[in-house]
Amino acid sequence: MPRTSSGKKVTNKTVNKKDIAQLLNQWRQEFAVLVPSLATGVARLASWDGTDTSFMDWYRNTVIPPKANLLPPVEEMFSFHKDGEGYHIELPPSDGHQQLIFGIRPCDAKALAILDMTFKDIYEDPYYLSKRSNTILVGLGCTNPYDSCFCTSLGSSPTDSTDVDLMLTDIGARFLVEEITDKGKELMANISLAEEATEADEARAQAAREAAYNKVTRQLDTTDIGQKLLVNFDNQDYWEKIAAKCISCGICTFFCPTCYCFDINDELVKNRGERFRSWDSCAFPLYTKMPMENPRLEKWRRVRQKVCHKYEFYPIDFKVVACTGCGRCIRLCPVNWDITQALANLPAKVRA
Amino acid sequence: MKDGNIEQKLQSEARALLEQGRVDYIIGFEVGSLKFTTTPLITNNIADIDRLVINPFIVNNLSVYLTEVKGRVGIVAKGCDSRSIVSLIQDKQVAREDVVILGVPCPGIIDLSKVERLAGKDRDELDDITRNGDRVVITVDGNGREFPATEVLFDNCLGCDFPTPKEYDVLLDVSSPLVSDKAASQEKLDKLKGMAPEPRWQFWASEFDRCVLCYACRNVCPACFCQRCFVEESEPQWILPVPRWQDSLMFQVVRNIHVAGRCTDCGECERACPVNIPLRSLTREMYDLVDELFHYQAGMDKEAPPLLAAYEATDAEDFIR
Repeated sequence: MPRTSSGKKVTNKTVNKKDIAQLLNQWRQEFAVLVPSLATGVARLASWDGTDTSFMDWYRNTVIPPKANLLPPVEEMFSFHKDGEGYHIELPPSDGHQQLIFGIRPCDAKALAILDMTFKDIYEDPYYLSKRSNTILVGLGCTNPYDSCFCTSLGSSPTDSTDVDLMLTDIGARFLVEEITDKGKELMANISLAEEATEADEARAQAAREAAYNKVTRQLDTTDIGQKLLVNFDNQDYWEKIAAKCISCGICTFFCPTCYCFDINDELVKNRGERFRSWDSCAFPLYTKMPMENPRLEKWRRVRQKVCHKYEFYPIDFKVVACTGCGRCIRLCPVNWDITQALANLPAKVRA
Repeated sequence: MKDGNIEQKLQSEARALLEQGRVDYIIGFEVGSLKFTTTPLITNNIADIDRLVINPFIVNNLSVYLTEVKGRVGIVAKGCDSRSIVSLIQDKQVAREDVVILGVPCPGIIDLSKVERLAGKDRDELDDITRNGDRVVITVDGNGREFPATEVLFDNCLGCDFPTPKEYDVLLDVSSPLVSDKAASQEKLDKLKGMAPEPRWQFWASEFDRCVLCYACRNVCPACFCQRCFVEESEPQWILPVPRWQDSLMFQVVRNIHVAGRCTDCGECERACPVNIPLRSLTREMYDLVDELFHYQAGMDKEAPPLLAAYEATDAEDFIR
């Protein structure tokens, strides 16, 4: 039986899959509920319509990562106008509502924990953090990872509950429900349709966890990966070869759940305007052009930056690899550029 | 000819080109890292040549790399790709003598999203996809189901008039019989054309609402060879490079006009789009308009001036209002 960190026995719960709509509706009294949705023509986490639970049928991760719900592709930072007295700045109306993300996958929940480090660092980003602190994560373990997934190589698993508030594991007709945080516990406090998990439920959940773990077949050896990248930093031949087929589009960074770079643009109409921030990508030749120049004009430098930022620099700054093995960069790439190959083929030692 | 034979021929030609120093690089396809995928192989190493493949999944239009790879290049090209190469030659982006075109008579490329829809499973859950002439067998959980090839080929392949390269140095195979279905190829486009302007506008607004401006459509496109795209100009700033549907649609419309007369309907923009925007409905319409108004098809004659760089007194102008 699982134990809390204090060693006290906890009893998990179960919820019948047929009751998920009822459960979500109960939560919807209090939160804006987001679920995996195809309604906009691409799989993403979107506002739940109150009835549709078809996301339980497709059971695979969304194309657009949940970071888009906290760091949107485009976001108004403030508006401004000028009159006789000078400039006036107005913040967008604060959106203080509590949101509940249902069905976030372990890799993506971990990615949010990784993003938190950047947005809480020297400068605290109010746009991201206000949404983040108003967000509750209900995780849903994967039963059917893609062939591009490699979370198990990064210390996680398809059913890892570390970074969510409440964790659901598919045990057949029901979900096993684990209350991971106090917020998660509160979520389940008044849910009468939940039942106490039996020993058999726990055994089924354990079997499901192991089965899902074993379905992740893509492996990446991350031993000493930061060190390997360090010694290969000036190995231009290697990076040129690795980068050759990259087309410098923004897919791998935009759809990466941990990439956070953004650009800032003003839209001016006469004496008023808005300031927007929108996703930017180190893959673009014009990245950082606005404040200065792009120091990485050649493509191989940009590809190197992306790889090193995730596997070398982020671990130096925050003691964690900024990749969760979600595999989106591999499965969405139009030319099948594969980061696991780029890392696996790194020379162990470089000739002087 | 079987894929194996055409592969052998390709490998021996490519090896000879590198060995004899006739090219500096070979650009072809190798097996991808995911099931049923291929990936571009750009190499100057003879040892890599064994990895070159030809199969029904060679999706990319490799000519996109020609403006980037230095020196003389041997390149694998399907019908549409070879037209893109010719178009680049017309635009003086590539010199004919610097390219050795290894032409592949193309039987049509398999659209994995169509296969997934037919099978009711994702690509990585399928056991096998086998093409036999005008039939395709999809095997799921050990059970093979046969479909007409027309149900799984890309829309642009179904409407292709020139599957065999016209411009080539080596043709790797005899032309294969054309598997086409013009009606299916035009289905999405015809549906849009049948709509009234207002709902059609709403359709595109909602499609482009998904766009995140990753520019994959532009970057996979060999006709988009500008060193610097207008969206990246900051002085003046033509559009605000933020992904709102209006800006994203404007970007795509201008891109479409820029590639008019250069677009060979290779379909790469739509295939690359990570959020499923039916971009080919725009590019194919432009392709047809160019043909209708100027009797011009991109990349058919390397000596011809590029459409947008030429003027004739008889040119259609009644669309200018």
